[in-house]
Amino acid sequence: MYSDVDRDALHVRAADAAYPIGTGAPRESYLNAARIIAVAKRAGCDAVHPGYGFLSENADFAQAVADAGLVFVGPPAKVQRLLGEKTAARRLAREVDVPVAQGTEPLRDAAAARDAAKKIGYPVLLKPAGGGGGKGMRVVARDEDFEAAWRGATGEATAAFGAPALYLERQITKARHVEMQILADRHGKVVWLGERDCSIQRRHQKLIEESPGPSVTQELRAKLGAAAVRIAERAGYVNAGTVEFLVEANGIFNFLEVNTRLQVEHPVTEMVTGLDLVALQLRMAAGEPLPFRQDEITRTGAAIECRITAEDPFAGFIPASGRVALAREPAGPGIRVDSALFSGMTVPSEYDSLLAKVIAYGRDREEAIGRMRRALEEMRVAGIPTSLPFHRTALYEQDFITGRYDTDFVARWDPKKVLELTDGAAASAALAAVLAQRSRAERRAVATADDPWARTGREDALR
Amino acid sequence: MRYEVTLDDRRVRIELGEDGRFTLEDRVVAADVRETVRGRQWSIVLEGESHEITVVTHDPLRLDVDGHDVRANVIDERALRAGRGTGAARVERVEIRAPMPGLLKRLHVKEGDTVERDAPIATLEAMKMENELLAPIRGRVTKLKHLSGTKIEGGAVLAVLVPE
Repeated sequence: MYSDVDRDALHVRAADAAYPIGTGAPRESYLNAARIIAVAKRAGCDAVHPGYGFLSENADFAQAVADAGLVFVGPPAKVQRLLGEKTAARRLAREVDVPVAQGTEPLRDAAAARDAAKKIGYPVLLKPAGGGGGKGMRVVARDEDFEAAWRGATGEATAAFGAPALYLERQITKARHVEMQILADRHGKVVWLGERDCSIQRRHQKLIEESPGPSVTQELRAKLGAAAVRIAERAGYVNAGTVEFLVEANGIFNFLEVNTRLQVEHPVTEMVTGLDLVALQLRMAAGEPLPFRQDEITRTGAAIECRITAEDPFAGFIPASGRVALAREPAGPGIRVDSALFSGMTVPSEYDSLLAKVIAYGRDREEAIGRMRRALEEMRVAGIPTSLPFHRTALYEQDFITGRYDTDFVARWDPKKVLELTDGAAASAALAAVLAQRSRAERRAVATADDPWARTGREDALR
Repeated sequence: MRYEVTLDDRRVRIELGEDGRFTLEDRVVAADVRETVRGRQWSIVLEGESHEITVVTHDPLRLDVDGHDVRANVIDERALRAGRGTGAARVERVEIRAPMPGLLKRLHVKEGDTVERDAPIATLEAMKMENELLAPIRGRVTKLKHLSGTKIEGGAVLAVLVPE
């Protein structure tokens, strides 16, 4: 299914069947549950996979799908409701002895929130009680910034989830965002597959994820896995899900929230476990039992994912939209690209800025990093700014190489730090810059295969 | 025509001749230049080394040089001459523009209001995110060009401030 502005999108062209569901505004299409269900019925579907955006964590939608006699590929509405309400999820975690960060229940208004913030102590994190994906989240460092943060978070939470209730948590700094992938069948069996370190974020949205987490010991992994399974069992969880934790330098961890859906970064887990998570989701939804036991799950090698977004890292990662003039994706051993990119596509301003996910797998982390560097240098996207300049340099940062990064990595990234070009590369770049400017000014092709530039070059080469 | 090209913090002087040769820092160099994507990408073989240069964006000029990102600027000799002697002009008015297309969600000021530096002027919703546009200077709002609730093109002027 697609909205009007996605008519040319790759998912429409690759799908066996595609149905329009409305105009570009999310409320008229991707957030319009009634229309989506009507289309599913008309198309003869027996199940609805909600993806990882829009209605994927919406309990009302899960319920509406079930009420329509269709299977919802994900946890049922009552589980979504329980875990999707972040403060209820925190209560549940405490009940099964999983530690949580100091925080509040949903807050009435800005004044009540401000009082609570003073009690907890700044910095605090303002979060929508319903929602996820970092939307509507604000760090508040000072009392005087509170009003603006409350306004912004309320507006964003309303736009993204239609549920503006906010609550507060103590902001844990210098921590790592480590999450545990779980799978649960409809017969009460729950397993954990392994962790992903997603600490490299900006505005609480992830830019790089990897598995295994470079800081996660065998012991911590087992603890996080067991904690995730306890939470899932208590909630009556079904299908794929992710339990998020913040891990401090001393190994102390706190439960953050449960994402009751498939995550954007699920490929890194697929690469190290060799499992197809979407296929397993469909099997779980069909009522099949999990085809393996906890002790049959093995993890080998290391995988890294870079989210290439339509955002300008040289301008504070401000989102960009427009026409992609040129796109070329990397390939080769250990490289997987999950992508919406093609030359000539228009990146709409209505939706998330994610363009492509580049995933590198290696026998160890060093090999994965080497392959990722090579892949990113092979990739080309032109026409709009993308996050590629960030990713290309981040993979060379000492903190990344040693695996000792935390959630402040992006804030510390220096866009002015540049790579020294070779003389030949600099000369070529200067020449191309001039040709590009002339070509643009004259609005005609400057160089063709038979122009004097090419001829002279060939003659010189033959001397 | 002579040009001065800035590549990040490096400066390269370059001259294009009529005969297809170019002069780099007063040295004549031969290059086999192919435009591989019109106006967008060039393959250049220079002294046996192959380079691929892609124009990521024209304005500002950003290049992909063999898989590395470079911020570039080109000044031709006319502009170099014209640029001489001009000092920084006094700021008389500041336009607040939409950095991207989106929905003008809210205006936080009225025409005639005086605002402090970093005060919120407008909230723009784009890509499911709300972005507050802040006043870059302390000043008086002399013009608001759009009503809240309207769809805005990228680069559109939303407000005009006069320094106070």
